[in-house]
Amino acid sequence: MFKLEGNKPQLIIDGKRTDGRGFDELRPIKIEANILKNANGSAYIEWGNNKILAAVYGPKEALPKHTADPTMAIIKSRYTMAPFSSLEEHGRSGPNRRATEISKVTSEVFENIIMREMFPGTEIDIFIEVLQSDGGTRAAGITVASVALAAAGIPMYDLPYAVSAGKIGDQMVLDLNKIEDNYSDADIPMAISPRNGDILLLQMDGSITKEDFSTAYSMVKKAGATISKIQKDALKAPYEKIIEKYR
Amino acid sequence: MNRIIVPGEVIAEKEIRMPYTYTEGGKTYSTVLGIYEAEHSSIIPLEGLWSPNRDDDVVGIVEEDKGSVYIVDLNSPYTGVIISKFSQTELAPGDVIYAKVKEFDEKKEVILMHPRKLYGGKIINVKPSKVPRIIGNKNTMLNELIQGSKSNIIVGMNGMLWVKGGDVALATEAILKIQEEAHTQGLTDRIKKMFEKTGV
Repeated sequence: MFKLEGNKPQLIIDGKRTDGRGFDELRPIKIEANILKNANGSAYIEWGNNKILAAVYGPKEALPKHTADPTMAIIKSRYTMAPFSSLEEHGRSGPNRRATEISKVTSEVFENIIMREMFPGTEIDIFIEVLQSDGGTRAAGITVASVALAAAGIPMYDLPYAVSAGKIGDQMVLDLNKIEDNYSDADIPMAISPRNGDILLLQMDGSITKEDFSTAYSMVKKAGATISKIQKDALKAPYEKIIEKYR
Repeated sequence: MNRIIVPGEVIAEKEIRMPYTYTEGGKTYSTVLGIYEAEHSSIIPLEGLWSPNRDDDVVGIVEEDKGSVYIVDLNSPYTGVIISKFSQTELAPGDVIYAKVKEFDEKKEVILMHPRKLYGGKIINVKPSKVPRIIGNKNTMLNELIQGSKSNIIVGMNGMLWVKGGDVALATEAILKIQEEAHTQGLTDRIKKMFEKTGV
């Protein structure tokens, strides 16, 4: 599928990426909302080869009690990878440094988007379970968790999405998969509030120039229109199906 | 024209004060997944929690007797409290009660008044956002349910329903159907037909 060039695989061949995508092309995304009966809200995403399930519980009484904030709800995110999820060494299951970090940044994304002051003293639990991973799972996890939160009826300022941009050689690319993630020169996952383009999550490994970042941001924003539409359609689909039935 | 809206969707290009919205930069945005009714200019949330209001009727289960107060499970993030000395009836953990909200205080405790003990029957939990539809406009849907199934039905705004007598199974089926199809048109007629077909 790709040629090795020294220790590094050649990631761009004839202007196409290893999976035949263009530079600013997303992998195919499919989201389904309300698939778990026990959860207040849930959603499932297939983003390329990533398969991720998200469930939301709450707001409920914050436990243990000392974690409760008497002025607003607290957000507890839990990102985990299933033991069978990974390709080779990319991410391992169970609580580890990487999963703890992703859980933390995911919580922070939603702390800025949920109207927390409406539910003082409560907690909202967000569970993100990666069933199959192929790079960009934290971005896909945030995208699917925001659908699950909306499906749970939790009031939010916006429906955020996330996607990663990266740099391969001199070329900025969108939505890196696992091979690109491992061998690229930079990987920048971003979570955006589509209403005004606010950045809710910005991480980076590798190095880029200021101009590269502008390119990456505009690529992410352009792709965001597509992702937002898929999110909205997924939320509306279960209700529209019932409306359609009795038309 | 009614349409389904999602959080962050622009409702109006000007600032309007409306429940389930917020304004920013001269625009009004939705905060919930719901249905926007343009003619009434209102939002009906499709999912969501019960936010306690004064005089709401609720159904709950007594969880604990603390001597001076009873703690009541209301199936919501907020706990219900009945002050013992204002309660005419003696309550015990496990009792199903029907009460009115007296006060929703800053500690987010729901103070209840006039508790009435409910004996026997069955509790059905529904989504609190669907309760207004189960009651219906001017109680039409609830009357339909009571006539159709010959059951006693008490509806709590917190999403807990108490059903006793008549055809409980049929009433449950109808209630769950209403919950599922709450956002469609002509639902009262379909429930009426459903009862005519099965008939008690």
